Amino acid sequence: MNFFDRFAVPNPSITIYASMIAIALTVIAIIAGLTYFKKWQYVWSEWLTTVDHKRIGIMYLISALIMLFRGGADAIMMRAQTAVPDNTLLGAKEYNEIFTTHGVVMIIFMAMAFIMALMNFAIPLQIGARDVAFPRLNALSYWLYFFGAMLFNISFVIGGSPDSGWSSYFPLAGTDFSQSVGTNYYMLALQISGLGTLLTGINFITTILKMRAPGMTLMKMPMFVWSALVTNFIIVFAFPVLTVALAMGTMDRLFGTNFFTTENGGMDMLWANLFWVWGHPEVYILILPAFGIYSEIISTFARRNLYGYKSMVISMVAISLLSFLVWVHHFFTMGQGALVNSIFSVTTMVIAVPTGIKIFNWLFTLRKGKIEFTVPMLYTLGFIPIFTIGGVTGVMLAMASADYQYHNTMFLVAHFHLVIIPGVVFAMIAGLTYWWPKMFGFMLNERIGKWAFWFIAIGVCVTFFPMFISGLNGQARRMYTYSESTGFGIWNMISFVGALGLLVGFILIVYNIYYSTRYSPRNIPGDPWDARSLEWATPTPVPEYNFAVIPHVDSSEAFWDYKKKGYQLFRDPVQSIHMPNNSGLPIIIGAGFFVWGFAFVFGIWPVVILSTLFIFGCLAYRSLEKDHGHYIPVSDIEIDEQGGSVQ
Amino acid sequence: MRALFPLKQVMGLICSLTLTAAALTVYFFDLSFEAGSSVLLITAFLQAIIQLTVFMHAGEGEDKKIIYTGIYYGAFVALVTVFGSLLALVWGYY
Amino acid sequence: MKIDQTLPLEYSTEQNRLNILGFWIFLGAEIALFGTLFASYFTLVNRTGSGPTAAEIFEIMPVIIETVLLLISSFTIGLGIHAMRLGRKRAMLIFFGSTLLLGLSFLAVEIYDFIVYIHEGATLQTSGFTAILFTLLGTHGAHIIFGLFWGLLIMYQIIKNGLTPETTNKAFIFSLYWHFLDVIWIFIFSFVFLKGMM
Repeated sequence: MNFFDRFAVPNPSITIYASMIAIALTVIAIIAGLTYFKKWQYVWSEWLTTVDHKRIGIMYLISALIMLFRGGADAIMMRAQTAVPDNTLLGAKEYNEIFTTHGVVMIIFMAMAFIMALMNFAIPLQIGARDVAFPRLNALSYWLYFFGAMLFNISFVIGGSPDSGWSSYFPLAGTDFSQSVGTNYYMLALQISGLGTLLTGINFITTILKMRAPGMTLMKMPMFVWSALVTNFIIVFAFPVLTVALAMGTMDRLFGTNFFTTENGGMDMLWANLFWVWGHPEVYILILPAFGIYSEIISTFARRNLYGYKSMVISMVAISLLSFLVWVHHFFTMGQGALVNSIFSVTTMVIAVPTGIKIFNWLFTLRKGKIEFTVPMLYTLGFIPIFTIGGVTGVMLAMASADYQYHNTMFLVAHFHLVIIPGVVFAMIAGLTYWWPKMFGFMLNERIGKWAFWFIAIGVCVTFFPMFISGLNGQARRMYTYSESTGFGIWNMISFVGALGLLVGFILIVYNIYYSTRYSPRNIPGDPWDARSLEWATPTPVPEYNFAVIPHVDSSEAFWDYKKKGYQLFRDPVQSIHMPNNSGLPIIIGAGFFVWGFAFVFGIWPVVILSTLFIFGCLAYRSLEKDHGHYIPVSDIEIDEQGGSVQ
Repeated sequence: MRALFPLKQVMGLICSLTLTAAALTVYFFDLSFEAGSSVLLITAFLQAIIQLTVFMHAGEGEDKKIIYTGIYYGAFVALVTVFGSLLALVWGYY
Repeated sequence: MKIDQTLPLEYSTEQNRLNILGFWIFLGAEIALFGTLFASYFTLVNRTGSGPTAAEIFEIMPVIIETVLLLISSFTIGLGIHAMRLGRKRAMLIFFGSTLLLGLSFLAVEIYDFIVYIHEGATLQTSGFTAILFTLLGTHGAHIIFGLFWGLLIMYQIIKNGLTPETTNKAFIFSLYWHFLDVIWIFIFSFVFLKGMM
């Protein structure tokens, strides 16, 4: 193949050419806009080089929302293609690329980024800290995620998208069956953003364990902090497994090794095995922070202390360990014997127990509560029944012998969407709405928010419930079309209608952001929800240093007890505050990784070597750099505090 | 000069070398698979413990508990991955 | 910056304590990383295809030499940290220098090993077994190479800036890394080489 041929898209279509033009125009518009309004300086010094956890959180948030729409567009195209039998809207290859990128974008670049956004924004505030333990590393994590996502997303205009499924099973993902560079993109992009995630994990464990406000013992932490702590432990120990699997897959594709081939002793099943050793804990990485957010929202809007704090914590710790013991249930049909399947069947059912405990705890918190039906609370209340349906179908799938019937059908697709959407997406929208006033200084419109909720909640049910039926009737997943005689048509049409409902819901959310930005009042108090944890004890907008004085904590509902029981939070005099300096290094290293990844995808080895040296050079530079941060003098702090502080 | 060679660390080195020699018995003597594997498991994990406690000062700081939790968690995941993969792909695969 | 005089220099500031704990957690992740490599190794060890088996290519002498070199280097860096705590900069640098030299010798023997394997027909591409063998050893070896450069950078900073809370912190973290690589090698020595030749 000619050197330049590899950069061409393997199966081009009108949509891809249109996207190329759209991407080019967007880039030009951004560059021209920044130049025209003279905002380069602002963007560079206030955002791109920032080490402030709140701003990094907001950048994660914007990225996650963009990725949500990229993945959502894929989803709509899939539902449209399968809405009627023998549809010719998309070809088989395009459909393969679309379901692959839908899965990867939604899990790795949307959901992960969303939880990173909310953790980054809320965790240091909730534990009464001024930043994370390693602010610069935190910026590096973001930029690795960002450039990993960019690398993945340029695949469809340069060289072709990956098309072997988000789980990228070998030998399908091997060079024999996936000849374009698409799967190389998959391997490298996930590697780069996975590295960023691992660093976040280390950062947040250290932050939560070492930087809590005085008096906040582990058992007095807000539940979201607990969930983040457990999640980050899972991240730190699960992501290295993915790192190894991806490295081996990359070597198979680019260096001709025999890890996952079907000859010379290679074992394709090893990929599936390693992928799910990471993949199942990954599911809990996504769901546990969501559980934490729901706990915060339920106790805030039911106006009650969380029921069963201890059992919540114990369940999460149990889940974190059990999540490493269930992965084989993803391939019950691969050929291992009855003993192995039985063991993993049992562990899978066991993990439903702590999850069930949490559901009951939320219900008991709601009992006798004065429930306020705000938008975050609506999502939470919608989550409980829909998630339970998704959860119990999961227990059905856990039965190994029955799984031979469900495996790889739309039944499975319905199950995991009904877990992930109410579990993660609802929680993210709820958390976004809940923390929005703290982030941006105004509330999102409740009325539009409620409309969006109903469209999304009903849309989810209408989209995914029919798949249970078509799946049990035998419709396999990932089939780009089916004949009319199968009788799947009606169910898929209902699904498509539901997907349109979801689309309307998400458009309403965007409209809500636009509407509220323009019309929402700006003079809101620091604590608009009458909430319970420390982030609401800061003024809005939150100053760079979060707390002028580090709070003292005496109970698990620190801010609530300060308001209601007269506990003192701020007891020390204002002192000058030490803060880290901004740095351009994280984004530069991230860009280095982007070049490295791109060159690796196409096997341009001189560039790979140069960019590797460049990255290590940056690390050495960082080691030799003398940077002790800066102090904010007391005089500046007091000026800030004349604003809307609750002190 | 003696201050530079604390007894604890010298003993640590001697122990490591002894354990290495002990592990070598599986090569130089004709042991059964079970006996050999047991010897290797014991010597390897003892060596790891020596490194952690004697050389890496794992237990000296205020964060002792966190450090050990991290190591135990890592060891748990590593062992589960090793034995789970073997179970699914080799021992339990027909 | 608050400096706590009662603790060794490397623990003396809040940021230093965070750095050390953060690095320990990173080592936890490394345990999972090497655990996965070992899991893959054990799965693929008998899948040699048409290539040579473990028993056919392993030799005992180079492996013993590598093990002893790495064990002693782990000892010398331990002494280096001890000297650092006594405030004896020159002794510390000598111990660190010896550590790096031992590491370099280890690497030389390992490269010799690799050349032998390739001559015996076991290349990266030969079989599932050789792929994971080179990857497991190579990942450990790459850590050693990275460690050599890292160690040099730290020695340079200590020569230039003396024993400060910052440099001692870096040196201590580097020592953790080096000891950890020794632990990993022990497992490679036991479960790759000795088990393969048993």
